Amino acid sequence: MNGGSKGAIAGIVLSEQQTVTLDELAGLCTVEQSWVVELVEQGALEPLGPGSGEWSFSAAALGRVRTAARLRRDLELDAAGIALALELLDEIDWLRARLHALEGGL
Amino acid sequence: MEYKDYYKVMGVGRDAKPDEIKRAYRKLARKYHPDVSKEPGAEEKFKEVAEAYAVLGDEEKRKAYDELGSNWQQGQDFRPPPNWDTQGFEFHTNAPGGAAGFSDFFEELFRGMHGVGGRQARNVRMRGQNEHARIFIDLEDAFHGATRTLNLRVSEPDAHGRVHHRNRTLNVRIPKGVRPGQHIRLSGQGGAGMGGGEAGDLLLEVQFNPHTLYSVEGKDLNLKLPVTPWEAALGAKVTVPTPEGAVELKVPAGAKSGQRLRLKGRGLPGRSPGDLYARLEVVTPPAHGEKERAFYEKMAETFDFDPRAGMGVGR
Repeated sequence: MNGGSKGAIAGIVLSEQQTVTLDELAGLCTVEQSWVVELVEQGALEPLGPGSGEWSFSAAALGRVRTAARLRRDLELDAAGIALALELLDEIDWLRARLHALEGGL
Repeated sequence: MEYKDYYKVMGVGRDAKPDEIKRAYRKLARKYHPDVSKEPGAEEKFKEVAEAYAVLGDEEKRKAYDELGSNWQQGQDFRPPPNWDTQGFEFHTNAPGGAAGFSDFFEELFRGMHGVGGRQARNVRMRGQNEHARIFIDLEDAFHGATRTLNLRVSEPDAHGRVHHRNRTLNVRIPKGVRPGQHIRLSGQGGAGMGGGEAGDLLLEVQFNPHTLYSVEGKDLNLKLPVTPWEAALGAKVTVPTPEGAVELKVPAGAKSGQRLRLKGRGLPGRSPGDLYARLEVVTPPAHGEKERAFYEKMAETFDFDPRAGMGVGR
């Protein structure tokens, strides 16, 4: 299964400990900044230390914003609908993981 | 190439009004969207629906598609009519599902129609777009690191602003310790820049293939561990698999089914590695032979044990 490691491209892992600014997050996810702000306002996304200063986010927010972007594009949902969908999806994910663990990883 | 019956995919008649097509799309998209549905085959199904809607939901494309006539059957071998030409059309690509990844049938019919709308000013210097893809790896790859081959379909605008699709193969190094949901950022591997601008980045979202033994929860692993009744009752040292090789685990006396035992640091590697949780499952041996049956009967005599005590049904 392993491809040859010759000429393999190495990347950087964006781990949960890394933080990104609002600008970086929007750029990495290829979405508009204003829309990320909307997601935050709807509670779909939490900035770190939401003080008065510049927002920053855990790199884990990337996956969330990308999912949100797909939901917007494919299902034509608005930010409020996306916030609700993400919350329900989180819950389903958690329940699925619990079920999977209870059933013994099979 | 196979003919695609987009009306059939959408479950609407050939005379369906645009708003009817839109409704059908929304309903199907919610049902099969890969972020929403975990049904097997949902992603494939969603792609089909997205492709059908990209055609039927667009007036120009639907007209062109309808010109092929209604005598074609889904899956029938298809060749476009000799004078087929869609070069004259232009439309905006913002198709659901992302236009890359549509069928050959779609590509053949609408190849000339991949206009990006509006002429690109060629003397503008612009950084390329960041692009996104998913990469599926095995659990073992996260432990040892690996190289994975990724096949991507990329869209590139040419000098005339028309978008072309091409296949691209990338060998990507999977670093040790990567976790599901994390992104690997490959700088300069995204969309090409314009006017000498630098290329964008490629962001790979890491997903794990299902594993026969372990399930992943964050950085922790879960494992179902069968034990015998005597191991559970008396306690025992049992050999347990971990992704980095077998280890000994002490099962305490009086252990029960469902009990979780933690193997610290045996989860996904990293600066603070995860743990591996073994969930015990007491398995009773079958009473096949004479001797085994006698043994179970002896147990029934020996133990004063009622697992249903407290259910209010008596013995």
